[in-house]
Amino acid sequence: MLHRERIPLLWFFFQAVVVVAWCFTDMETGPGAGVSTQPNGDRFKIEGRAIVPGLKTQDWVSTARILVEGEEYVGFLRTDGSFAVNDVPSGSYVVEIVTPAHRFEPVRVDITSKGKMRARLVNYIKTSEVIRQPYPLQVRANGPHTYFMKRETWGWTDFLMNPMVMMMVLPLLIIVLLPKVVNTNDPEMRKEMEQSMNMLNPNPELPDVSELMTKLFSGSKGSSKAGSSSSKGTRPAVKRR
Amino acid sequence: MARLIWLCLKCIMLYSTVQAVFEDQVGKFDWRQQYVGKVRFSHFDSHVQSSKKVLVATENNVFASLNTRTGELFWRHVDKTGPEGNIDALLQHGQDAVLVVGNGRLLRSWEINIGGLNWEIVLDSGSFQSACLVGQQDTVKHVAVLKKTIISLHYLSNGHQKWIENLPESETVDYQAVYSGGNGEVYALGVVPHSHIAIVAYSLEDGEIIKQISVEAPWLSNIQASCSVIDQGVLTCVDSATVSLYMLDLHLQSQMTQIPLQVLFPFSSPYLPHFLCVNAFFHSRPPLSEFLLQLGPEHHLLLQLNNGHIVTLRDFKPAMLVSFATTGEKTVAAVMSPKNKTACSINLFSGETGRRLLDTTLIFNLDPNGGKPEKLYVQAFLKKDDSVGYRVIVQTEDHTLTFIQQPGRVMWTREEALSDVVTMEMVDLPLTGTQAELEGEFGKKADGLMSMVLKRLSSQLILLQAWIAHLWKLFYDARKPRSQVKNDVTIENLSRDEFNLQKMMVMVTASGKLFGIDSKTGSILWRHYLNNIPSNPAFKLMVQRTTAHFPHPPQCTLLIKDKDTGLATLHVFNPIFGKKSHISPPPLPQPILQSLILPLMDQDYAKVLLLVDDQYKVSAFPSTKNVLQQLQEMASSIFFYLIDSSQGRLSGYRLRTDLSTELIWEVVVPTEVQRIVSVKGKRPNEHVHSQGRVMGDRSVLYKYLNPNLLAVVLESTDLHQERSFVGILLIDGVTGRIIHEAVQRKARGPVHVVHSENWVVYEYWSTKSRRNEFSVIELYEGMELYNSTVFSSLDRPHAPQVLQQSYIFPSSISTMEATLTEKGITSRHLLIGLPSGGILSLPKMFLDPRRPEIVTEQSREENLIPYAPELLIRTEWFINYNQTVSRVRGIYTAPSGLESTCLVVAYGLDIYQTRVYPSKQFDVLKDDYDYMLISSVLLALFFATMISKRLAEVKLLNRAWR
Repeated sequence: MLHRERIPLLWFFFQAVVVVAWCFTDMETGPGAGVSTQPNGDRFKIEGRAIVPGLKTQDWVSTARILVEGEEYVGFLRTDGSFAVNDVPSGSYVVEIVTPAHRFEPVRVDITSKGKMRARLVNYIKTSEVIRQPYPLQVRANGPHTYFMKRETWGWTDFLMNPMVMMMVLPLLIIVLLPKVVNTNDPEMRKEMEQSMNMLNPNPELPDVSELMTKLFSGSKGSSKAGSSSSKGTRPAVKRR
Repeated sequence: MARLIWLCLKCIMLYSTVQAVFEDQVGKFDWRQQYVGKVRFSHFDSHVQSSKKVLVATENNVFASLNTRTGELFWRHVDKTGPEGNIDALLQHGQDAVLVVGNGRLLRSWEINIGGLNWEIVLDSGSFQSACLVGQQDTVKHVAVLKKTIISLHYLSNGHQKWIENLPESETVDYQAVYSGGNGEVYALGVVPHSHIAIVAYSLEDGEIIKQISVEAPWLSNIQASCSVIDQGVLTCVDSATVSLYMLDLHLQSQMTQIPLQVLFPFSSPYLPHFLCVNAFFHSRPPLSEFLLQLGPEHHLLLQLNNGHIVTLRDFKPAMLVSFATTGEKTVAAVMSPKNKTACSINLFSGETGRRLLDTTLIFNLDPNGGKPEKLYVQAFLKKDDSVGYRVIVQTEDHTLTFIQQPGRVMWTREEALSDVVTMEMVDLPLTGTQAELEGEFGKKADGLMSMVLKRLSSQLILLQAWIAHLWKLFYDARKPRSQVKNDVTIENLSRDEFNLQKMMVMVTASGKLFGIDSKTGSILWRHYLNNIPSNPAFKLMVQRTTAHFPHPPQCTLLIKDKDTGLATLHVFNPIFGKKSHISPPPLPQPILQSLILPLMDQDYAKVLLLVDDQYKVSAFPSTKNVLQQLQEMASSIFFYLIDSSQGRLSGYRLRTDLSTELIWEVVVPTEVQRIVSVKGKRPNEHVHSQGRVMGDRSVLYKYLNPNLLAVVLESTDLHQERSFVGILLIDGVTGRIIHEAVQRKARGPVHVVHSENWVVYEYWSTKSRRNEFSVIELYEGMELYNSTVFSSLDRPHAPQVLQQSYIFPSSISTMEATLTEKGITSRHLLIGLPSGGILSLPKMFLDPRRPEIVTEQSREENLIPYAPELLIRTEWFINYNQTVSRVRGIYTAPSGLESTCLVVAYGLDIYQTRVYPSKQFDVLKDDYDYMLISSVLLALFFATMISKRLAEVKLLNRAWR
């Protein structure tokens, strides 16, 4: 019982707060619709104009349609790009201009039971939010539809700028070029390098992981090295020297 | 290991969710065909001599302009479906076409060259009767619209109303026609059935009634059907009872003069005409003094009014169809008469004299699988030597339009029946003859080693021969210029391609015409018109035998049910050739309630079709001994359900061994509160590859894969927006157990449902927030599977875990379907037909009730997308790019031989066929695969190794010498 009493209260609250938009739900077909734009009772007309910048209207109007709330009401475009959807009862509708080539933003149009019109931005999440749009509608196409993905084209710059390639090429350059630039046989240089290594390694007592690994596998590595050296016929030639 | 592979695959798929068409793929494997529907009005655009337009207004509420050279559309305007978009009249004047739409609700004027609207106005309420153009001194400036109680006059230039007047005595008089002779008067003609004709003349200027007369006509009941205005305002009517003509000069007379037809044209007494009609139109401008009279089904008279006397110009017998056409000053009558059983001839006769014009014979070949000619539209034109030439459009019963030019050359045909596809199937194409030969070797029973070897050798020889022939053809074609090489698909050279991507689309249309369409090119390979279709039919198409069972031909069965009586017939045919099968289907004397196709096969590999009649008796087709025996064995495990939506009853039955049935469960939905809208099961050819989903913590969440699950959609009968609701019931079809129930409050239909794997996706309209919403239900068994080998509805003690989530969708939808692939490894997409004509491919990933609101490490590991309330429509996801499909009614998906590829056909007013790759093409090389790059890299590497080897050798040699 309590709930039932609360519902109308809530309803009044809504009406008070959420300005006009919510009143349109009253869809009763009363005969006396005072200030209607149309002479015939409770049916109204949604008017507007669609503009595609840089195109003549006759090039695209034949492919366009006005859809009001899906396909509930359908309108067509005049040869000058204006449109009117007739025979729409009061309510709140999303008006879309649909063409295969151009993209138009949908608009929500509210019609009161008295025939007052208002257009606002479509917001499906906050349905009561009102950001006014001009009425009669002025809808401008914001560019063509993008239906297609771009093919990935192969170019040298793409290849070289690839992070993987960069990661491979740069160390390679360092390995190849550094020994040539820096003379490792110079004892001063070696000392300097060791110092810098120590700087990097905060705790000299702690064994380096890589060193540990090399020690661990050194036994097996040695044997494998021996095997491989014997298999390769070129090595003995070196030893002979 | 398998799970690992699966994981890897899944990863690949998840990374490739963005799916779109590339620009160079346009038209590569997709095609669209645009239709307009059954033509109601048609006008050749004749105001320019060289015009190649024909305007058509159809029963599907489409107004279009066709190119007469090619039969393609210049433009097309698709109005609302239903009576509100119904086109009542089409009038053409110059560049403007005036349409009365929605039972006289709207008056529209179209500019026919560019296809834009000139103006549109709302007319006063009242049911529409007639409309005509009103001219004065040879200039047409107005259009008059007659309704039940009012007549109004509008300017042709802007649609503004000039005047509107009430019709006198409209309660008793049934006003049916409006006429204007071009002298400043508009006549409204009404009839009081079996009493008199009421004629009211209005002044064109101000709508004042100039005169009002009533003429005795006790024999007349319908003006539109039996009267016409000819010459300068002479109302002519026929009375079939007394077989006579009545004439009345609207300007002068007030009494009808009777002219017995016997005087004009002596009948032989046994031939009494049972149907008579004046075949001239109210809106033919200017009214001709000639008119046509139909005396019998194939008997017409050409008559002329000459100084108040009627002269018989010509008697056409037999003549199936006659039609008038005017060009310049000349009037001609085109007459179609049967020539022989397969062809008709059309001849042109002069309107003034009734003489046959020379060299105007045109042969129209009747399609043996089509319907009879129904209407004739003639375009006459003056040739350079001032003789009359003509082209015709023949409309047949099966809604086909055929455009014929003079020596009988068919310029184009439009199969408008395809604008109303009801159901379809895709059937694999057969193997080629040689492949079939090889297959046949294994089909037969072994008969000795030697003969087997010989057979093998011979089949290998045949293969070799075919291969050489193929090579020879390639070589031969290569020498010819490219334009001459034709790759026409005909029934003879149909064969399956290596990935089974090309299939036969069997389409059933509402008119009862069946089509076989090649899915690769869209060309119609066969058509078959069933001419005994009831007026309110329901169709169900089933594939009983596929092409896999050579030498048995494939077999499809179409169940045609009369919705009014419930009586059904079966049409059995070969889906590849369209021929009716020699197997005679059983007669079905009882109304059919349910039909189901069983996985059982008879000895000829035809699946068994069970039909349940209203006595709950079951009959099988085919019903051989073998089948009946199998049925007896299997009977205990065959269950089916029946829906009675009028009583809100859903009941499950079991088959007994004597083919009677037993009610085992029943769910009753209170019909005063809610009604059953639809029931969706799962598709029988659907495969689910993975039993579960791997979670972030490496445990597995098993899916609840109940093949017997039904999703029942309920809508409230109360449509008030505060109290309406939409409900979903998930019922096990075998036990009747309600697995889950979901209710969406403040919501209403239309509800679109897709039910697949372990999920149900449905869409509804939220009345509270005025938006479309998607909801997804997923069912899981939990972390452990109860019985992992076999699913049994009877032995599932644990109720599944149910997860549900809802989303906002920023558009209404027309239809919805899920993609389907061979093995079900590929991720699923939802294909959503939008009213704008786009077909959106929405990854199922976005409709996943496990989408988290707060992203955690585990959800990221699982590749779950964080929850967002609104689903986006990205135009890149439109699989049909700018090839919009109007009024999508259904989307059919079929697996191909490639796991990655799903074949899609969207049908509505248009038909669109394409392929989709929900997880991209992971099993074939992409068509942008860079062969050049790969081969050049390989070559470069090869040469690099060669060179470096050489260099190394030189270096070593140098070292050795040192």
